[in-house]
Amino acid sequence: MDTNVITEYLPLFWDALVITLKIGWQGIAVAFVLGLLDAAILHFQIPVLKRMVGAYIELFRNTPLLVQLFFIYFALPKVGLSLSAETCGWLGLGLLGGAYMAESFRSGLDAISQIQVESALSLGMSKGQAFYHVILPQAVSISVPGLLANVIFLLKETSVFSTISLMDLMFTAKDLIGMYAKTTESLFLLVVFYLIMLLPVSFFGTILERRVRHAEFGD
Amino acid sequence: MKNNLLKKIVAGLLTVTLTGAFLSGCGKTTDVDNGTSNAEAKTAGYRTLDEIKESGYINIGVFSDKSPFGYVDENGEYAGYDVYFAEQIGKDLGVDINYVSTEAANRIEYLQTGKVDIILANFTVTEERAQEVDFALPYMNVALGVVSPEDAVITDLSQIGADDEVIVISGTTAETYLTKNYPDIKLQKYDAYAEAKTAFENGNGVAWANDNTEVIAFAIENEGFEVGISSLGSADTIAPAVTKGNDSLLQWLNDEIESLGADNFFHKDYEATLLDTYGKDYEDTLVVEGGKVEE
Amino acid sequence: MQNLGIDVLFKGTNFLRLLQGLWVSVEISLISVAISIVLGLVVGALMTSENKLLKAILKIYLEIVRIMPQMVLLFLAYFGTTRVFGWNLTAEAAAIFVFCFWGTAEMGDLVRGSIKSIPVIQYESAAALGMNRWQTHFYIIMPQTLRRLIPLSINLITRMIKTTSLVMMIGMVEVLKVAQQIIEANRRTSPNAAFGVFGVVFLLYFIICWPISRFAAYLEKRWA
Repeated sequence: MDTNVITEYLPLFWDALVITLKIGWQGIAVAFVLGLLDAAILHFQIPVLKRMVGAYIELFRNTPLLVQLFFIYFALPKVGLSLSAETCGWLGLGLLGGAYMAESFRSGLDAISQIQVESALSLGMSKGQAFYHVILPQAVSISVPGLLANVIFLLKETSVFSTISLMDLMFTAKDLIGMYAKTTESLFLLVVFYLIMLLPVSFFGTILERRVRHAEFGD
Repeated sequence: MKNNLLKKIVAGLLTVTLTGAFLSGCGKTTDVDNGTSNAEAKTAGYRTLDEIKESGYINIGVFSDKSPFGYVDENGEYAGYDVYFAEQIGKDLGVDINYVSTEAANRIEYLQTGKVDIILANFTVTEERAQEVDFALPYMNVALGVVSPEDAVITDLSQIGADDEVIVISGTTAETYLTKNYPDIKLQKYDAYAEAKTAFENGNGVAWANDNTEVIAFAIENEGFEVGISSLGSADTIAPAVTKGNDSLLQWLNDEIESLGADNFFHKDYEATLLDTYGKDYEDTLVVEGGKVEE
Repeated sequence: MQNLGIDVLFKGTNFLRLLQGLWVSVEISLISVAISIVLGLVVGALMTSENKLLKAILKIYLEIVRIMPQMVLLFLAYFGTTRVFGWNLTAEAAAIFVFCFWGTAEMGDLVRGSIKSIPVIQYESAAALGMNRWQTHFYIIMPQTLRRLIPLSINLITRMIKTTSLVMMIGMVEVLKVAQQIIEANRRTSPNAAFGVFGVVFLLYFIICWPISRFAAYLEKRWA
């Protein structure tokens, strides 16, 4: 391992980290919104929409992100729908993530017993108020472990972005291997940067999970 | 098929033992220093000419998505200019050929890790690469070229705006050349030829820079595109490459290329694989016969 | 449908090759899951051990699997091992190795979870019946654990099949690579092949994974 090579490559990996995080978090934000929306639709059994959401979830949970991205990025322009690589990145991640987030949110929503809703309604809350003030906070705290697992999963999945020309961490490593054949150094930096990106999330996740549990069950 | 299954079972068993070894190793001994193995075994080595002959097969790395040089036809058979040559190598060595599908960026890696014996994947000879692998005599001429849509032809690199992106393939000479000489041009990089071409067709970049052979072929085969810059950078050659130090195989390849030159083999190769695309006009500019480049 | 490029799939053996490519993915997943289940049972049992060192090591192992993208692991196994240890794994062996490394951790964690979830009273009852430790594990704990694990490991199969799409990156010719080859070989005659071919690949993955994951969900509900 050549330390000069490592210092030379370091700035490239920092740039890549920024791109990875930027598109990663955009995608995760989309996934959250989409997942919550889907879970609400499923929970309240809204006709027609319910079926569409069900189909969407099955479709995106049962196909790989790589194939989804290829389809969105390479195939859709053939029928006139052309998106930039970056848009495809967060859109693809958001669509995939939405399907997973929906399941996590739903398991939270379904865990809240009906009697709580009835109690809230009998206290004079509207349906919306009951959802917002009573169900949602509990559902979110129950869903936290699942949601966090999804966040880590989605950040990992960003490694697939490299195939649609987004210069993320994986891409930078592959590119440097291809151009200069400094494989050991590139792979080393790749691993280090994924650790930098994901260890804090994983660590923070464990703490958050504990606090949520605490809020829920006490000590 | 049987042989294949056997390989898989062996691979599976290997995994079990490796994982087992890993786990038990971790479980029991933490004080044993295993740092010693790191430094020595840097390359996995290569197979000499005799070893290849004895084994009865040769691993040749070719493109599987770079028509008309190396691609897979609709019957699942490898074909193209590089493959035509590979077939001849197999025949003259008297061994079966095991084609390995490569991407541009993997070519050096495949040789250095001994995963293929020869790279025959439109591999341009450059100084940087020659430090990593050994090139045999050349069999084709090449320079860089830039193709762009007909309605916005780029005839000079200065036409490329600050926000425009040029498509390149990761690990190609076009990428290295532009990175080095035109650092301000934004590059949009893909792993595979199929991906880059599809993206270019879809209008994701203002131009596509690659070997000129490839961009000329693209403009001929696809309507609405024109090669605005047909020769960029230095005039280079394409040659087979072997793992550094594999002298017996290198020597054999050089002899092979020379003796094939006597039969005008590469002209025949051109006529069989490239004529449909390029027509007669490019035959003499592209083909290098007997390893001798005409000045 | 001519202009959407579905027609290229019916040329020569194209469609058959696509299916063969898909089989490569499925095969790797099945082999890996089988090995992962066996190793996962061992690792899961080890995870319940009280040995601190062993626990720490397994924790690190789990954390690595949890945060390293499979693509990175594949690159490490395929290119890294050759550079550092001088091993020369084929792409296939590297893929199976990585999938087992990942699958074993996941299975191990699931096994640990299900062993822990079995109430103490069952151990006590078994002891009261005069069973020894080994008998208790084999006749009482294992069967219950396995039943919980089956739906989860079926789920793991679909996740592995989906992840096999990445093995293209280490040079294996699976369904996506075949798709690219078909698009490339027919670019002149059907410039829109990308739509039809990638669309079909998308559907193929769905057709394989969907029934498997439905089956797992069904078992989970039934045996829960």
